[in-house]
Amino acid sequence: MPPLLITSENQIQRLNLLMKTIGQLQELDISKLTTPPKPKAWSVLEIIEHLSIAYTFYVEKIDAALAKSPERTTENEVLKARAWQKLIIKGQRPKEGKRQWKMKTLQKFEPIFSNNLSQEQINEAFEKFNHLYDHLKQSILNGRQKEVSKTKVSSAIGPIVTFYLPECFEFLLSHAERHLVQIQETLDSLS
Amino acid sequence: MEDVTYQKLKAFFPQVHLGAVEESKFRSLWVLKSFNRSELITEAGTTERYFYFVLEGVQALYILNEKGEKVVLGFSYSGSPSGVFDSFMYKTPSFTFLEALKPSKMLAINWENYQSLFELYPDFQTWGHHFFRDILIGRLYREVELLTLSAEERYIQFMQRCPKELRVIPQKYLASYLNMQPETFSRLRKSTHY
Repeated sequence: MPPLLITSENQIQRLNLLMKTIGQLQELDISKLTTPPKPKAWSVLEIIEHLSIAYTFYVEKIDAALAKSPERTTENEVLKARAWQKLIIKGQRPKEGKRQWKMKTLQKFEPIFSNNLSQEQINEAFEKFNHLYDHLKQSILNGRQKEVSKTKVSSAIGPIVTFYLPECFEFLLSHAERHLVQIQETLDSLS
Repeated sequence: MEDVTYQKLKAFFPQVHLGAVEESKFRSLWVLKSFNRSELITEAGTTERYFYFVLEGVQALYILNEKGEKVVLGFSYSGSPSGVFDSFMYKTPSFTFLEALKPSKMLAINWENYQSLFELYPDFQTWGHHFFRDILIGRLYREVELLTLSAEERYIQFMQRCPKELRVIPQKYLASYLNMQPETFSRLRKSTHY
């Protein structure tokens, strides 16, 4: 299997695209944002909320990891994801615009909204997403000034998966890209 | 802006002759910006907000290829312009990154103020004609070099005209700019005289 190469520039480029695409969704009608494509499936807004919830578990971990990383003295280098972490990341990453395999979401990551959301509540959900993923972006940028390639972060599901910080960024980004595909699928099935 | 800094900026616009009041206005449009080494001045996916004039440091303009590797398109350095011009002019998201390879100080002018120069002062039309002509011809020469010269010839041509500041940046950037492997660049550096 070819190596999974990680660079902060690649992550920033993809994250900018992701945030722009999610930002454009805010223009959609309430019904498109809040209608699930089928019973028990998530609406677009629930997918966005899920991304926010999932990232929330990483905020403190990332801040702590960056705080303990020393200042960078060498050039930014390409990092190769380790075997187990590569498997986890690739499981999230969409391949040729498709989600690779579907998986059951743990209860703690489930989005819960009341019925009949107001525009204000919808705006709040987008603001929360923007705030959190801007944190991810700033963390990737801050990581460029630090030696982060050996700073460990445990995943939100516990120490069964432990990332180096750039692997963690890659996982979070790939997870968000996976759900962006799901959003597109949802919108396609509604139209 | 200090006088010595302003003189550097003024020298970049040799076709422009302004009166005292106009000069004061022109001077006020520029903002000093500082960047750390490795800091991304402009990110791919965002829109370039400024046209820069470089006071200190070296910056690389690059695009990421399919493998995520940096492909260097050009450099800017003391006394040269900088920025992602296509994104700046068209106000569209940039395909390229602009990164400070060395700690950098740059004067920046935003799009509205940059445009106002051309509308208010006819000399900037002349400057713009010369500036974009030189850029166009420079890019044309570079294309000819990349398509017709051997790696060794490209290396020699580049090193003969390259400012000293560029010789101390990491070799991988120079190698990428010259479309060769870092190992090839390193070998040429050891074996070639220019």
